Amino acid sequence: MTDTSSDRVDTRQVPTLVRALVVLVLLYLFLTGVSLLGGGFKSLGKDLVDGLFEGVSNPVGGLFVGLLATVLVQSSSVSTSVIVGLVASEVLGIDDAVPMIMGANLGTTVTNTLASLGHVRHDQEFRRAFAAATIHDFFNVLAIAVFLPIELATGYLSSTAGWITERAIGSSGASFKSPLKQAVKWPSGLVKDLLTDLGAHGDVKGGLLIVIGLTFIFLALAYITVNMRLLVADRVEVAINRALGAGSGIVAIVLGAVITISVQSSSITTSVLVPLAASGVLTLESIYPVTLGANVGTTVTALLAALATGSPAAVTVAVVHTLFNISGIVVFYPLESLRRIPLRLANGLASMAVERRSAAVAYTVGMFVVLPLFVVLVLR
Amino acid sequence: MVMSFFRRPEEGGLSQIDAQVQRMINDARHTFDLAMNALTGGPVATIADEVRRTDRQINVTEMEIRRELVVHASVHGGVDTPEVLVFMNMIKDLERIGDYNKNIFDLADDGVSMAEAPDLDQMLGYRDEISSRIALMGELLTTRDEDRARAYIARGDEMRRDFDARIIELLHSTETAMVAVPRALLYRFLKRVTAHSLNVVSAIVMPVDRLGYFDEDTRI
Repeated sequence: MTDTSSDRVDTRQVPTLVRALVVLVLLYLFLTGVSLLGGGFKSLGKDLVDGLFEGVSNPVGGLFVGLLATVLVQSSSVSTSVIVGLVASEVLGIDDAVPMIMGANLGTTVTNTLASLGHVRHDQEFRRAFAAATIHDFFNVLAIAVFLPIELATGYLSSTAGWITERAIGSSGASFKSPLKQAVKWPSGLVKDLLTDLGAHGDVKGGLLIVIGLTFIFLALAYITVNMRLLVADRVEVAINRALGAGSGIVAIVLGAVITISVQSSSITTSVLVPLAASGVLTLESIYPVTLGANVGTTVTALLAALATGSPAAVTVAVVHTLFNISGIVVFYPLESLRRIPLRLANGLASMAVERRSAAVAYTVGMFVVLPLFVVLVLR
Repeated sequence: MVMSFFRRPEEGGLSQIDAQVQRMINDARHTFDLAMNALTGGPVATIADEVRRTDRQINVTEMEIRRELVVHASVHGGVDTPEVLVFMNMIKDLERIGDYNKNIFDLADDGVSMAEAPDLDQMLGYRDEISSRIALMGELLTTRDEDRARAYIARGDEMRRDFDARIIELLHSTETAMVAVPRALLYRFLKRVTAHSLNVVSAIVMPVDRLGYFDEDTRI
């Protein structure tokens, strides 16, 4: 149209090639951050590290630490990449990392739950939006309820992931030849040398590497997401328009995964669905498979991070993340009776929230802040 | 369907919606022509299905565009909000044009015929002018020529006043009901088609908060 099109924001004027190159640079920065993070923890003294991670050896504690960390950084990609880095630096074992990964999976759902609160003024709109957001929460909670006990009892996820890792990259010895690790060796070495030249050693150097690594990870992922969203927005729009008419759950799951891998954020994918649900354009039943796909798609970031570490254990944990989500889909999607469980729970909570708006706030704050904080503090 | 994500979109977002709006305009012109032809001597029975089918197509396209606008707004955020609002207004006006065209056809379907009327030439003149103005509406939305848009609106305003005058004339005339009532209804429908087309074209020259209030643009 006319009067308004000339006011279009400048972010659209950056050429696609330039924006794609920016994304590649940011990806490099992200992988460097993961490498620095791992190196930082390796440089810390054992007592200090043990003190920092006291409590996560308890699986429930680990679960809520993962949840809380993800809520704080508002990104499961950041938190799972950090977990992978910790495993690579042998600060965390695979057994301790698995519940944290599950917690991170759940923590990321707070973003679209918060997004749904924006529709709080109109009953029907809010009911639909809140249900669309919390279906993600309920799927993750149910998956944890099923697979955490199974994992603790049988090691199903970690041993299956270990088997896959061994087939994919070989796990003889403590490391594997990772091209990504080789690629980030130079900038990581530069930062380490710079800190040494500035007089940093031991725990101080380790701490600084951790801070720099976290900063790189956080900033890189934030800007990757912004740029990828702009790069693929038109494709995402077309994909969603086509999925609206698809009718096939499998297609919707795959589309959810593809969109999330493209924009590097499950929160963006699921948050886009919330206003569509609120307006009635999408039903809860059609949103559910896209959400499941987004859950799987977001695991790609941790896989990339793991490949940059050269650590088979880190890759195993990243594969656990993917396997956990796929296993959840296998249980809670194909059979209608089981598929209806998260749908009913989400609709039930949404009805309650419509009757009393404070219930929505209490649920969000309680589930994502109060409960995890309480558990973490008690277990410490 | 999944592989289509990796192909370059042929038309994305608002460009796709622009194309659909043009299709709505073509359909609106088609139903107008059919309806006026039926009223001025064309074969009513054979036209009926085509009028109803095309009107349903206009309604379906409106619903599709609304859905796509919601998806666009959700994916792209608030960047295109004014354009989205303009499109929402525009498709409502185009859908109303389709409805009034059906109303015109219903006159013929109910037995009104102006094939032998003394004012047939005048009716044919209205038919030709409004039909070409519907087509011009589509052209102006593509070219965004503000001067031509203002000229379009000015002429449309004259036509609206003309139709109003004719209706008032009929209110005070001594013509029989069989003559006066169909004409009053027809002028009313033609006035509404003209008015809705002005609303659509006003998007070219008016800011979004004043869409349709073209009489407040002092440059017209």
